Amino acid sequence: MTLSLILWLPLIGVLIIGFFPNPVKTNTLRNITTLFIFITLCLSIYLLTQFNLGISKIQFTEYLTWIPQIGLNYSLGVDGLSLPLIFLNGLLTLIAIYSIGEKVERPRLYYALMLLINSGISGALMADNLLFFLIFYELELIPFYLMIAIWGGEKKGYASIKFLLYTAVSGLLVLAAFLGITWFSGSASFDYADINTMALSANTKFILLTLLLIGFGIKIPLVPLHTWLPDSYVEASPATTILLGGILAKLGTYGLIRFGLQLFPDTWKLVAPGLALIGTITVLYGALVAIAQRDIKRMIAYSSIGHMGYILVACAAATELSLLGAVAQMVSHGLILALLFHLVGIIERKTGTRDLDQLNGLMNPIRGLPLTSALLIGAGMASAGIPGLVGFISEFIIFQGSFIIFPIATLICIIASGLTAVYFVILLNRTCFGKLNNKLAYYPQVLLLEKIPAFVLATLILFLGIQPQYLTRWIEPTTDHLIATLTPINVEIAQK
Amino acid sequence: MTQTLTKISPSNHEFADIIHRLEAGGSMLPDTPENLMQIIGIYKAYAVPMDFYWRDLLYIAEKVFLNPLPFFKYFLPQEYLDLKNHYAGDTADLRVWRGCAEAHPELINFIEKGETIKGSKLFHHLWHDRINMEFAEACMRAMYWHGRDMGMGKFDSYLDSDEYKHNADVAIKAYFKGNPAMLGLYKLFPEMFLEQVRQLSYYSNLGLFWEVMCPVFYEMSDIYDEGGFKDVSDAMNFLVNGIFAIAGRPIYHHVYIDGKCYEIISKSKGFTWLYEAALPYVEAVFYRTSPFRGTKSYNAQAKQVPEHQKDFHYGILYADVFPVGSAGIPPTLLMDDMLHFLPDYLKEYYQKNCRGEDDQLIQLGITFQRSMYNVTSAVIQALRTALLYPLDDENPKHLMKNRQFFEAQMDRFKRPEARLKDIQNPDYR
Amino acid sequence: MPTIVDIAVNNDNFKTLVTAVTVANLVEVLKSPGPFTVFAPTDQAFAKLPPGTITTLVQNIPQLSRILTYHVVPGKLMKSDLEKVNSVISVEGSPISIDCSDNFEVKNATVIMADIEADNGVIHVIDNVILMG
Repeated sequence: MTLSLILWLPLIGVLIIGFFPNPVKTNTLRNITTLFIFITLCLSIYLLTQFNLGISKIQFTEYLTWIPQIGLNYSLGVDGLSLPLIFLNGLLTLIAIYSIGEKVERPRLYYALMLLINSGISGALMADNLLFFLIFYELELIPFYLMIAIWGGEKKGYASIKFLLYTAVSGLLVLAAFLGITWFSGSASFDYADINTMALSANTKFILLTLLLIGFGIKIPLVPLHTWLPDSYVEASPATTILLGGILAKLGTYGLIRFGLQLFPDTWKLVAPGLALIGTITVLYGALVAIAQRDIKRMIAYSSIGHMGYILVACAAATELSLLGAVAQMVSHGLILALLFHLVGIIERKTGTRDLDQLNGLMNPIRGLPLTSALLIGAGMASAGIPGLVGFISEFIIFQGSFIIFPIATLICIIASGLTAVYFVILLNRTCFGKLNNKLAYYPQVLLLEKIPAFVLATLILFLGIQPQYLTRWIEPTTDHLIATLTPINVEIAQK
Repeated sequence: MTQTLTKISPSNHEFADIIHRLEAGGSMLPDTPENLMQIIGIYKAYAVPMDFYWRDLLYIAEKVFLNPLPFFKYFLPQEYLDLKNHYAGDTADLRVWRGCAEAHPELINFIEKGETIKGSKLFHHLWHDRINMEFAEACMRAMYWHGRDMGMGKFDSYLDSDEYKHNADVAIKAYFKGNPAMLGLYKLFPEMFLEQVRQLSYYSNLGLFWEVMCPVFYEMSDIYDEGGFKDVSDAMNFLVNGIFAIAGRPIYHHVYIDGKCYEIISKSKGFTWLYEAALPYVEAVFYRTSPFRGTKSYNAQAKQVPEHQKDFHYGILYADVFPVGSAGIPPTLLMDDMLHFLPDYLKEYYQKNCRGEDDQLIQLGITFQRSMYNVTSAVIQALRTALLYPLDDENPKHLMKNRQFFEAQMDRFKRPEARLKDIQNPDYR
Repeated sequence: MPTIVDIAVNNDNFKTLVTAVTVANLVEVLKSPGPFTVFAPTDQAFAKLPPGTITTLVQNIPQLSRILTYHVVPGKLMKSDLEKVNSVISVEGSPISIDCSDNFEVKNATVIMADIEADNGVIHVIDNVILMG
């Protein structure tokens, strides 16, 4: 019942916002949105407390037959893979509501879309049926497309179309893979429980897995399928970027583990080295390109590409530890990225620029944005993997877990995480330190409403960095179980 | 303006407008009611801490003297709070301010209560809820350090004379009488204590200088409150007259050891307020001073600090007020001191601009910069009066000399860091 | 011939100057053989000074005498001598610039009566009190 509430409450919110009598203040709409998202967030926290850590299987299941003819069922459930992401979804939506600033154009549509996105992502994460997952996966595109196209920056038209084309292709490839999986394996429905790919021929499995990899690879995104990302991230408003990078991209890695690794455990070993290679390239590419950027938002967008690469390497390695690290990295990357984009959003709104050459001395305690700068430094440290912050935990687990399987790839990733520090030092040194420009520095103040989300995120980043068991305890049973079914294969690879 | 311009052709200087304004008897600061309100308000806020500065500077120069552990040098004894200002009150030599000769009531009140609670002096000191004497000492050190290089007046060269050394020697020996350790140290390193005494002479110098400025600013505030000043040049002219009236005030350094007065620099040396204190002060503090550490750091090897002392331009006329606000920078300490004594109209004014209360320190810093441009204008006009010709002189040759003088003064603000251009704009806050 | 002091005392235009010299105890000096060149400001010249200036100076004799000694140059320098130089050093120690190109000008003062010879020097009457710097 709780899962359904999480899924449907935001949709009720959409209806209320849609039919709220005119004239209505932006604030009222925002408060309604906040209320609904807050309730779903509380429900996800409730789930976290009720989650049985002893069971590795899917919990809180809800099942209704819907269209049995095509095998589509209303089937919900969560496990250690999806539950942390559902919490993250609620949290980041709440943050995103307060990341766009005071004024919103067309508030009714804006907040309705926000709720839709929240509900859609929850749906995709909770779905226990391939087709049901895909419905949500595809449904997400429309609100995101509109968010970029309406509230985006200068080149929003270009960016939004590019986003739509890329992700639509991603959806088609995943659909093709799902249909193939179900039909070729002769399953009774699209329910996860019914599907067994053991009987398929190796070639079929390889082709299906490749389809999935490309499909989700676009979403993650992996180099060379990433070109939509910098444009979308940069052109979208900070709120949209937080949702895009913080949670939507995670659907890609989530899909990779859930459908790639879980459904094709034996084929996975064939593609694993290739995946590790792509992952490493992604990591290096993201970091090196980020160093060359002049636009801070673009820099963080590329940094995001790089950090998603770690997850891929970890998935490819597929050890208990690396998989745990992969899921932990999804959460920590979501938190850190959201904080970075939120702060960059504040900086852009206050100073009117994102240009590294123009920004300077924001640390100035009186006329600068001292708190924002301080938190930006914290977020940069977290992203660069400084111990004591959540980024370190997940990256460390990934490196430790992947090293046995792919030592060289892991070492390259470790070097690349050093490069993270390089571009963050560049970013922080230019924006936060130095001398504030007298002629420009009449920036408006940062409002409390803008500060609170940053505080919440920063607190979580620090807390989970010091007490990582609150991050890993929900994930561990599921990933352990997942790997248990793979172990012999891993050993094989390791022995080779 | 037209009067001068009809007799000689207009200036081609970069700051021609400002030069023409000076020639018309104006100030470098544009004449607007807003500017007048700002500068007078800040003079008031500056005068109250200055009332403390001059008293404490004299206290240190005269009483603390060579105390090797001067922990309590900022704890002004009642005697010095009651010290009669020579230019205020009924006992004044020349009454500049109509008010009292003792410390200003607002200052007394602040010393007792601070911004926190009524409590012991030690608490207020440690909590930094006090007047920041560090600023005054920084000014003193600027004068001391630049003194030799500037070569203005006769004060600094006197510090090297045998007469001075002898006077200092007598005082040092008297101060450390019965203290063989310190006397031994003095024997070993005679220059060390002598150098300290020279610095103390500058304490006295600056203290005596500010003793005059303090009542001048009080009086200006009172006149303004009565509706007395019409415009900025009125305020400037008041300063010009003040400078002339007090010009001959003696600058000296007396030390009191065991109730006995030792004249290290006697009044009979003929050192005057204008030549030995005011002009060196303006040059050392308004123009030169020294780079402040803080949010900025300087690399001397990379020539970020000028090679010659005369090229130092870090004074308030050039200061970048934005880094102000970082702890420990002397101008910040002054801003903080002035914050306690802002008149209500200035508080309201800051509330309405920029970030209101949050960046008051910078706003008042920039107001202070404006007000010091006005003081510098007064000095320039006073020098012009003293050394050159009246603005309405009939002789074009004389007017040309005035023009050259003004242009030479304005040349000093051609440097990129000078704020003369900025203060012409009311939006610079 | 009368001394410099005698000339000044006997002239109605130098009342302020005489008072100042008397207060500053410079009478004896100016009566001594010298010789001196004195640039003597008239009463009108002193009157041009802003109010308070004289008050403060009279209260502080050493400072007053310093200003006065700035008006005195050692040696007997006639206008014809001064025409040849750009500046002379005063008894006070600071230089006094001389400009004879148009009028006979001493710093920012104009000599309104030159070459009044005395027993122990010469007086040039000027229309401004000159100041160091």
